[in-house]
Order: sequence, then structure tokens, then C-alpha cells
Amino acid sequence: MAMNEHDMLNDTELAALFEAAQESAPLPSQKLWDQVHQDALAALPPPRGVANVAPAQPGILAGIIAAIGGWPSLAGLVTATIAGVWIGFANPDALNDSTIAGLLPGFSATQGYDLDDFAPGFTGLSAILEEG
Amino acid sequence: MALDLNSDISDEALLVAYGNGDREAAFVLTTRFTPRVLGYATRILGGDRAEAEDVTQEALLRLWKIAPDWRQGEAKVTTWLYRVVSNLCTDRLRKRRNVDIDAIEEPADTRPAVTQRLIAEDRARALIGAMRDLPDRQKQAVTLRHIEGLTNPEIAAIMEISTEAVESLTARGKRALAKTLAHRRKELGYGDE
Repeated sequence: MAMNEHDMLNDTELAALFEAAQESAPLPSQKLWDQVHQDALAALPPPRGVANVAPAQPGILAGIIAAIGGWPSLAGLVTATIAGVWIGFANPDALNDSTIAGLLPGFSATQGYDLDDFAPGFTGLSAILEEG
Repeated sequence: MALDLNSDISDEALLVAYGNGDREAAFVLTTRFTPRVLGYATRILGGDRAEAEDVTQEALLRLWKIAPDWRQGEAKVTTWLYRVVSNLCTDRLRKRRNVDIDAIEEPADTRPAVTQRLIAEDRARALIGAMRDLPDRQKQAVTLRHIEGLTNPEIAAIMEISTEAVESLTARGKRALAKTLAHRRKELGYGDE
């Protein structure tokens, strides 16, 4: 005799069976855990290192700095610039004629000093320039 | 990468991390996938636990091997894994049919079902037993839909068929199960109607 719809399990009854199957999920044995973990570590690729990156091309500023002797020279240049600006603004008393007289032989405080004191031969050059 | 088992990191990201040599990712992935793969394989193989463990190990081994080539966004790891497990189970079921279809005994349990837990165990056992008689494709579709809880589009992706074909397979599978199990209604705790 053929089975009719009434004889079959209905959707609710089937759903209860599926739910029971979900709840009775098998748990892995310790042996399986060990094997799977061992496989995973055995197949683990070596850690990828940082990719080789081409060194960056030096810029214009870096070229200029290198030309004057690198960063230490740049530091000296900056220091000298700051000192010059400061001396110009402060006009310190210590830098008067008498201290310069000690620095420049033949300098007289009464007559002052000329460019020739700092650059010997400059007078001759001035004469040439004056004569045209 | 600091990882723990409850991490929200996706399966795909973990697999890429594994492919980059991350040991923690290996630990989290095995913990996530081993029970899931074992459960699915056990049901498809009609409760054969030993064979299901072999399939689980083989499927995960294949996953580790493809990890270095995995690209995020191309596919879901679970889709790939369910497909591999389905294929491995199908191969084993074919070989088994050539030997003896009834070689696998249903686990015997003669204890009276006096508690809800035992009723649930009986129901699960009866269902898995009845599913052995389903065609492989129906069994896969029904298991993925109603036990694994996947959506029809997900199942369609795993089985590489249309969602309409999935609906058809699950409907026919459920109908066959409803018929097969009808005579065990009382045994399953549904009373004698």
C-alpha cells in the first residue's frame, strides 16, 4: 500500500531530528587533534621576511648637504650664522678698537682700521680700481 | 599577530597569515575547523567515525598546502573546505559501495530512552542512519542546509549548482527521510498517530 502524506513525518518532526543531529556533533579525538596540529605545523611556510626595498635616490637638499661635508658641517654653518647675526645686533663692547688692536698687528686705535688691515694688498687693488 | 580562539579575524585573513608562516594562525585554524569538518564528514559517511577522522585530516592537509596561494576576497575558506570534504566523502562512499553497503553497523544502543538526552541521541542516530540511503547529492544538500545551517546560495557555491537545484535536492531529500522514518515514529518519541 502506498504511503500517504499523513503517514510521513511532518516538517516539525523532521526539524526536531535535524536539531538532535546538530546537538550530537562528534568531538575530535585527542589523536585527531594531535595529527591535525602536527600537519599544520609541518606544512607551515617559513615566515616571510621584509621585502628587499631599493634605497631611495638622494634629493637635491641631500646633495647640497653632502657637498659641504655632511650634517656636521651644516651644524657648524648654522652656528656661525647665528653667531654673526647675534654679534650684528648686540654690537658687544668687547669687540672694540682695543681688542681688534690685539688681533691685528700695526692697527692703531686712533686711526681706526681699514680693509687693508684684514686683506693686505687690498689698497693696491683700490688704487688700480681708482685709476681705472 | 596576537590571536585567540574567539578572535573576530576572518577565516580568510587567518589562512593568509598561516600562508605567511604565522604559527598562532595555525593553532586557531585547526581549532576552528577540525570539529566542523569532522561533524560534516561523519554525517555524510553515515556515522563512520574512523573514516570521518581520515577525511578530516586529509581535507585540512589540503588546506594547509593551498594556504600560501590563497587570495583574500576570492572565495570563502568554508566553501572551499566543505567542497573538498564532500568530494573526499563521495570517493569513499563509492569505494564502500563496491565492497559492502551494509558493512557499517549502526551504533547499537538497547538502553530505554528514558531521558530527553537519550531521545535526542536516538533521533540523531536514526536520522544519520536514514540518510545513508539518500543519494549522495541529496545527502550533502540536506546536511549542509539543515544540520550545518548554511544558506542555499552558500550550498550552491559549495556544490557548484544553482540555488534552485539546491532547493530541489533538499526538498527531495527531506521527503525521502520523512517516508523512511515514518515507521519509527513511536521509537522517535512522536507517539503512535
